[in-house]
Amino acid sequence: MTPRPLALARLRPELMATITAAAAVLATLAVAAALLALGGHSPGDAFAALARGAFGTWDRFVSFTLVRATPLLLTGLAVAFAFRARVWNIGAEGQLHAGALAGVAVALALPGAGALLVLPVTLLAAAAAGALWASVPAAMKTGMGVGEVITTLLMNFVALFLAQFLVQGPLREARGVFNQTDEIPAAAHLPALLPDTRLHLGFLLGVMIAVGLWLYLARTPGGFRLRAAGASARAAEVSGRFSVTPVIWLSFLVSGAIAGLAGWIQIAGVTHRMYEGLSPGWGYTAIAVALLARLHPLAVVVTAIVFGALSAGGGAMQREAGVPEVWVRGIEALVILAVLTADRIVQGMARRAAHGGAPRRQRSGEAGTAPGGAGVQ
Amino acid sequence: MPREPRPGRSPGGKAPLVTAAARLDSITRRFGAVTALDAVDFELVPGEIHGLLGENGAGKTTLANILGGLLVADAGVIEIGGRSVELRSARDARALGVAMVHQHFSLVPRFTGFENVALFNGEAWARRGVIAPGYRRQVEVRARELKLDVELDAPVAALGVGERQRIEILKALMSDTRVLLLDEPTAVLAPQEVEGLFAVLREVAGAGTAIVLVAHKLDEVLAVADRVTVLRRGRRVLTEEATKLSARELAEAMVGRALAAEQPAEGEGGRTGQPKPDFAPVAFLEDVTVGTGDAPSLRDVCLTVHRGEVLGIAGVDGNGQRMLAAVLAGVVAPERGRARLPDEVGWIPQDRGEEGLVRDFTIAENVALALHGKRAYRRGPWLDWPRIGETSATLVNELNVLVGSPEASADTLSGGNQQKVVTGREFLRAGQLLVAESPTRGLDVRATRAVRDRIVRLARAASRPPGVVLISADLDEVLELADRIAVMVRGRLIPVGPKDQNAAAIGALMLSAGSSTP
Repeated sequence: MTPRPLALARLRPELMATITAAAAVLATLAVAAALLALGGHSPGDAFAALARGAFGTWDRFVSFTLVRATPLLLTGLAVAFAFRARVWNIGAEGQLHAGALAGVAVALALPGAGALLVLPVTLLAAAAAGALWASVPAAMKTGMGVGEVITTLLMNFVALFLAQFLVQGPLREARGVFNQTDEIPAAAHLPALLPDTRLHLGFLLGVMIAVGLWLYLARTPGGFRLRAAGASARAAEVSGRFSVTPVIWLSFLVSGAIAGLAGWIQIAGVTHRMYEGLSPGWGYTAIAVALLARLHPLAVVVTAIVFGALSAGGGAMQREAGVPEVWVRGIEALVILAVLTADRIVQGMARRAAHGGAPRRQRSGEAGTAPGGAGVQ
Repeated sequence: MPREPRPGRSPGGKAPLVTAAARLDSITRRFGAVTALDAVDFELVPGEIHGLLGENGAGKTTLANILGGLLVADAGVIEIGGRSVELRSARDARALGVAMVHQHFSLVPRFTGFENVALFNGEAWARRGVIAPGYRRQVEVRARELKLDVELDAPVAALGVGERQRIEILKALMSDTRVLLLDEPTAVLAPQEVEGLFAVLREVAGAGTAIVLVAHKLDEVLAVADRVTVLRRGRRVLTEEATKLSARELAEAMVGRALAAEQPAEGEGGRTGQPKPDFAPVAFLEDVTVGTGDAPSLRDVCLTVHRGEVLGIAGVDGNGQRMLAAVLAGVVAPERGRARLPDEVGWIPQDRGEEGLVRDFTIAENVALALHGKRAYRRGPWLDWPRIGETSATLVNELNVLVGSPEASADTLSGGNQQKVVTGREFLRAGQLLVAESPTRGLDVRATRAVRDRIVRLARAASRPPGVVLISADLDEVLELADRIAVMVRGRLIPVGPKDQNAAAIGALMLSAGSSTP
């Protein structure tokens, strides 16, 4: 056939991604409503309480939703960036812990220093530690061809147990009551972003990183190479005439560094000390955040806020509507399933519309093209 | 070659004396706004070999897929063995005796030929995971009946393309098969292997199976088919007995107009001429070896390419051509030997879908694959996308790519248009050397003509033309375009001198290679 792409295929990819993501969220809410009703709850009350908890007042939005969105924003960016290069970094959780530990250790080692010194140094240390943590899977992948899904995942456990060991031992607080570190010096606290709220500079940093990654990917030769390598490593090498190995290294290191920042920023901005169970699994939720954003850095800002709102509203839902907070985890999981499904459906439709008579290519295309879906099962 | 009359086949070809093996009546299939098949009638007589021809996108694969159960028609009636049927899946088709051999084989590489045959055929299984003890004999008997020379005990990965194809065919013919659909079966074969395949097809047809041969190469279709159907833009334009047709008539039916206008005048580009002696060498390999062990990809390859000449490299796929191209393009460094290569090398890779293009990228982004490293296309740290867009737009216009804009995704282009984009982009790069790997594979007559003409014109350019290395398994293409010819055999490059060598000798040399080296 003459190639005459249909309306659907001709839509700008960004618009299509937005439609897909929105459809996925709506579908999730519909399923969640049905499940809530089955469980004997009133979906209307539950969602209303959730919305009030997340957006009810300016303070709820800023001090709860945005604050909770911050670690998801950073880890989500880390995951999205790696996934764009087809590097399946499932290890944001471990890189986050590595960054948190490094930041705390450096902050505690510099008790008298001023904020102008401590903040940059701790941020750098956290980023470096996250990158270091990611460099192990990177070396195994580029050097020996070991799949990063397994290695990044396993490195998470190493980081978690290392963190446990350190807060129970070498870094344990001086008074020795809880398994946590001493409080970091005030100079290492991230300043508030808005007066009289708990929102800290970390959120702004996250947004700036999102903008930076977007510019990098869309406008620079390096970002172009990364997208090409991610979309087709063979085509990158043959037609782009560049080696994908440095691209893979870069995406591992940058991804790890951003995830590392996430851990330290949470401590420097919110908890002010490291303890066991610092993260409720942000590094994993980040995968959903990134996929819902279709790996677009600017969209990650939005999806991180959506997940932040779910988290902030979950408590309110439990208090006000008597719906257990675990439902929120269920909703998060449903969002992932819905995104992956919607992704596949919409892409299949677009492809069928575009290529009519080539079912073989549809099949062979799937593994190579779906940026969100394919590689993450 | 002489063909014997077959049982069950009507002499006239138009009014069958026996029930049709399959009949498609007024089949229509749309993909969105595109009508891939428009009320097409198609009839298969038992025991005939029916060539199905058409340009890319004419609808022949769609037609085959509908008969094979992979696609469902929007309108029309399908009859198999005289009964009207509904085909909702390949399994339905299979149950009615319709089997399909795809262009890209569907074999499990680690399994042996026998295991692959068994995997596909339900009756092979005694119970889950256990092949019935008697099945092996059945397979052997069937292979003998069909005169199929198959290797059943080696893993498929170790077999050559021709051997794999025979296993595909055996696999499809283990149970009663009324209709066998073959999609471009000769695209991957050496000339001698094509003959072998045709012998097998005649055998199969002689036993009463109707064969649909989807193909591009007119001569081959004429050599083996009893009848030929030509599709153009979703409509059937011709069904006729092969003996009453010439290749030219077929080509014109496919294209829809006389071809003469598009043929470049002989000798215009000096296609018969010799390389101009005063042109300097641009690329040079001496004793280049890549890969180690028993089967290196390249072994002691020596070669010199001059400006303004087309060096044709023939050979069965998989004899080191891919590596040679990668070395010439500077992507792979020789492990031993010396290489002097220019900086500006265009490389039209063999697999345009996977290597020549990033399918998710727009045309402009695909063009940027060649431009992103160039200073002229940067502004400070940024890529100069407007400038890249301009260059892409120029390219698209020059090449007549049928798309709205350079912002269209490469995935929405037809094969011919994709190849035009790749060709145009690599011409931008080919200041000194162009490596063209099977540049017309899978293209229709018109697109093939266009690509070949462009290559010749590039090499014959008046001022500072690049040297061209044309790597192709299509011997006719090499003979048509090349000034000098060499053959790749198991990683070695064997020069055969000027092009007036006879084709049979080159073919014999090609085949001595087998086809299973990496």
